[in-house]
Amino acid sequence: MNVSDNRSGSALHPAIWALAFTLGMAITGYLERYAGVGRTGAIVLMALSSLFLIPMIRSVQARADAKGVNSPALKIYNRRFMIWTFGYMIALTIAITAYQKLELTGALLWLAAALPALPVFGMIWTMGRYVREEADEYLRLRAIYAALAATGLLLAIATAWGFLEMFGAVPHVPSWAAFPIWAIGLGAGQCWQGFRA
Amino acid sequence: MKNRLKVLRAERDWNQQDLADALGVSRQSVNAIETGKYDPSLPLAFRIADLFGLKIEEIFLRD
Repeated sequence: MNVSDNRSGSALHPAIWALAFTLGMAITGYLERYAGVGRTGAIVLMALSSLFLIPMIRSVQARADAKGVNSPALKIYNRRFMIWTFGYMIALTIAITAYQKLELTGALLWLAAALPALPVFGMIWTMGRYVREEADEYLRLRAIYAALAATGLLLAIATAWGFLEMFGAVPHVPSWAAFPIWAIGLGAGQCWQGFRA
Repeated sequence: MKNRLKVLRAERDWNQQDLADALGVSRQSVNAIETGKYDPSLPLAFRIADLFGLKIEEIFLRD
């Protein structure tokens, strides 16, 4: 089969869907803060915005197929990661709502505060499983290189930011930002290797 | 590491996807090996050699 055949019917570029998701979330935040949409409305809008992630993942799969960099393990990885992403949004919504509506203290406060971290643990587990399950040694190596690049980026940013923060040059950033920064580094590392291949 | 994969593939009228399917790897892997950007592990090198019915050193050449 001609590889170019895989491109037929492929969706829009994943970046378009990622942009749509980001815009949807940003607009949701704006409407909640300035247009009086309310918490329930914001949650509905956030859920609708999250639907953009489905075509985004499909577009990523289609492009990976077309470029010959897809594998069964990668498909499982993408599916698991999407499930954990939705789980994260649900957990975050529950935690914030519970914190604002109920006067949580003690163990319940700890539980609500830790809740959004659990799906993130799932995402990290998913990444580890992918490295174990990927039968294609070249794709596995690419994933490991990307993870190393992401770790280097995170360490560099965290170190520089820490000193800048210590001297009052930049505001404080919560430590949960570590994972999204690492994930951005992972994506950038994969893109860089794809560009070089 | 240099190799004769492209020639061997052409002799059999296989494209990269055909070879990738036969080896159970991605087309990008075949491309990376063929262009010398990635050196396969010994197990994969043996699989490639077995597929072509050759010895490893008849496919992969010293730099």
